[in-house]
Amino acid sequence: MRSSFDDIARSAALWPIWARLGLQDVRLKFRRSAIGPAWIFINLAILVVSIGFIYANLLGQEPRQFIPYLTIGMILWAYLTNSIIDGGNAFVHSEGYIKQISLPIYVYLFRFFISITATMLITMCAFVIVAVLYRLPVGLGTLLAVPGLLMLMATSLLLIAIFAHLNARFRDVAHLASVAMQVLFYVTPVIFPAHLLQNRGRLAWIVELNPMFHLLEVVRRPLLSNSAAEWHSYLVAVGIIAVLGTVSMVLVRVYGRRIVFAL
Amino acid sequence: MAHLHISHVDLEFTVGAERQDTLHSMLRRGLMRHTEQRTVKALQDVSITIAAGERVGLIGHNGAGKSTLLKVMAGIYPPKRGAVAVDGHVCPLFEFVTGFEMEATGWENIRTRALLLGMSPREIDRKIDSIAAFSNLGEFLDIPVRHYSSGMFVRLAFATSTAVDPQILLLDEVMAAGDAVFINSARQRMNDLMLRASVVVFASHSLDVLPSFCDRTILLQKGRVIADGPTAEVVRLYQAPTAVPVT
Repeated sequence: MRSSFDDIARSAALWPIWARLGLQDVRLKFRRSAIGPAWIFINLAILVVSIGFIYANLLGQEPRQFIPYLTIGMILWAYLTNSIIDGGNAFVHSEGYIKQISLPIYVYLFRFFISITATMLITMCAFVIVAVLYRLPVGLGTLLAVPGLLMLMATSLLLIAIFAHLNARFRDVAHLASVAMQVLFYVTPVIFPAHLLQNRGRLAWIVELNPMFHLLEVVRRPLLSNSAAEWHSYLVAVGIIAVLGTVSMVLVRVYGRRIVFAL
Repeated sequence: MAHLHISHVDLEFTVGAERQDTLHSMLRRGLMRHTEQRTVKALQDVSITIAAGERVGLIGHNGAGKSTLLKVMAGIYPPKRGAVAVDGHVCPLFEFVTGFEMEATGWENIRTRALLLGMSPREIDRKIDSIAAFSNLGEFLDIPVRHYSSGMFVRLAFATSTAVDPQILLLDEVMAAGDAVFINSARQRMNDLMLRASVVVFASHSLDVLPSFCDRTILLQKGRVIADGPTAEVVRLYQAPTAVPVT
């Protein structure tokens, strides 16, 4: 259906709508709480402090290296998880809008993208605090995190698109995805340093073949060490975006506006 | 000029398949090889052309397909077969409140709702004071709508929704039958809105409102157009069920 891709372009052009709705979602989430978005920090801080000191000990790591590593890892991991779990509800939770208002449906994907990404950027401030406290090296290499972050954002948008379609059609997908993300969390170097697995010859493939690891690395490495990630991590990240892009195009083509019948 | 053209539109709802598909039901279907999908033919071979300046009523019993047809016109439901060609900005007003957030203030909700109805930010700046004035909520606009009474809430939603300048206005009966709920000023505002639009299509049960607005009326039955003509004639046909051919 030709018009589905027109709908995407029309949706993108309606940015005043989805930007407003997305930012409003973030604001309203905290409106009635006394300290507002500070809860995002507190949540993260408690997690990082409790996991950080226990695991640093358990794994024999230097806290001054491990805590920043853990902080940025948790932030980026939460971003990907939210894209899949919350973003997966983009169509389902917009049922009322989709059935009553004649805006192109992809507006609601962008809305969720904005609120999920804004939340991630707010938590990034927590990493800045940690970086200052632990005097992480800062330089031109740090700026390489920007292209990495853009890749991660593209991934987030595509994950939202894919899971919003799948979840509208098959409601089990959300539960499956949440189980899968839990398993991936323990397999992916987030709460343990990658080299612990990489140095164990036989288990190194768990890290190297894990696409999530490379996706994290393109942001994490520049921020932690003021240098680029491994070149093949960038390659994998681009590959992931290409695959997710293809899958979401297929879904848009297959379902298009008919997704409304699945709601 | 705004116009609307629908030709040979079929629309089906698949009950039990697209609505409630689970992996379990798919597995079962795959294994047992017999499907238990049920399709409901919501619209069958509907062809309608509406030109600029026309005000068209839609009547028919519950489930005749009035709301579905409006949603096809609005581009919300894609037809299974047939073509829908619309020229002009379509504004469906099937209800007032989509987009309202309980935690947001009156002002914030006016802006959000107005954007969703297709107003540009500049247009909203221009109209927001008159919307506020009509809602008559004064300082209450500064507080979250959570604290509003239901009457205040309806005033705000109504004031905002009726501020649009649509080319093609699609109304469902809840809105059109506002006369039962709203005071005179609201009714006047609704009339103004319908007169501003270039094309109005409005679905209604209320046969006393319809003739005053619509020269032309379309009668739907079981998803088919069974009469399309001057309102007086179509209403007469509708009220004499024996004259209606049963399909």
